[in-house]
Amino acid sequence: MTTQLITKRKWFWAWNDEKEEAWLTKMAKQGLHLDRIPFPGSYQFRNGDPADYIYRLDYQSLKTKDKDSYLQLFSDAGWENVGEMGGWMYFRYKVTNGEAPEIFSDRDSKIGKYQRVMLYLVIFLPIMLLLMNNTSSVDESGLFSTILQGLSALLMLLYAYGMIQLIIRISKLKKTN
Amino acid sequence: MVETNIEKHLPLTEATYYILLALVGPKHGYAVMQDAEEISQGTIRLAPGTLYGAFTTLENNDLISMVGKEGRRKIYQITETGIRVLLGQIQRMEIMLQSAAKNFDLWQERTAEEE
Repeated sequence: MTTQLITKRKWFWAWNDEKEEAWLTKMAKQGLHLDRIPFPGSYQFRNGDPADYIYRLDYQSLKTKDKDSYLQLFSDAGWENVGEMGGWMYFRYKVTNGEAPEIFSDRDSKIGKYQRVMLYLVIFLPIMLLLMNNTSSVDESGLFSTILQGLSALLMLLYAYGMIQLIIRISKLKKTN
Repeated sequence: MVETNIEKHLPLTEATYYILLALVGPKHGYAVMQDAEEISQGTIRLAPGTLYGAFTTLENNDLISMVGKEGRRKIYQITETGIRVLLGQIQRMEIMLQSAAKNFDLWQERTAEEE
């Protein structure tokens, strides 16, 4: 059988990771198995037989020396690492007898994942504040500065929206049992 | 020996309790997952993401430490402090059981039947 690579472009925000997992699982049922993620929003699939895979995403900023043992632990537990993009680790598990495995077995560790994403985003807070400061103080009316102001306003809105989405996700998780 | 306050680590979550208990002997991550499931009679199933996070936290709190490597697997073992925390937890659980034996009729009946 010849395997061919199929590339699909789709964008998922960090707070839509569960949708991304579901999408990858759906692709696998159609015989498209994630092979690698060349750049954000681009998914390369191997065309093969349809299969039941559960996809799960973790977020980790691991030092190189810790990465091996991290991946080994997942692999020992039956989770194949199929890709990595900007701190997001992609795992899949071949379902054989109807089990529904998870990469997190308790609420706190699942919350921990979103807290790590937020911690990463907090690094950009000074840049965002700087942008906000610049945007409000510039009062030139050239086309270039208007575009620039519009872009930074958009960026700030997205940043705030993302943070809020993550906070909502965490507080929803905290309410479950 | 440095006197460390073990109370701040108590009570342990059920998962942490079984992880520490499994690490009384040196083990790598997957062995801890298997051992915890076995000694807890199947009541605890640790997922890899959760266990990895627990290892990091326990190591930072000096309750476990890395004692070796087996290929890419890190081998951990409980520390002196970890043992004291584990003993503290067991003592708490003993008190819990004794209180049930003393104050809870249904539990007294059940233990009487088993004898």
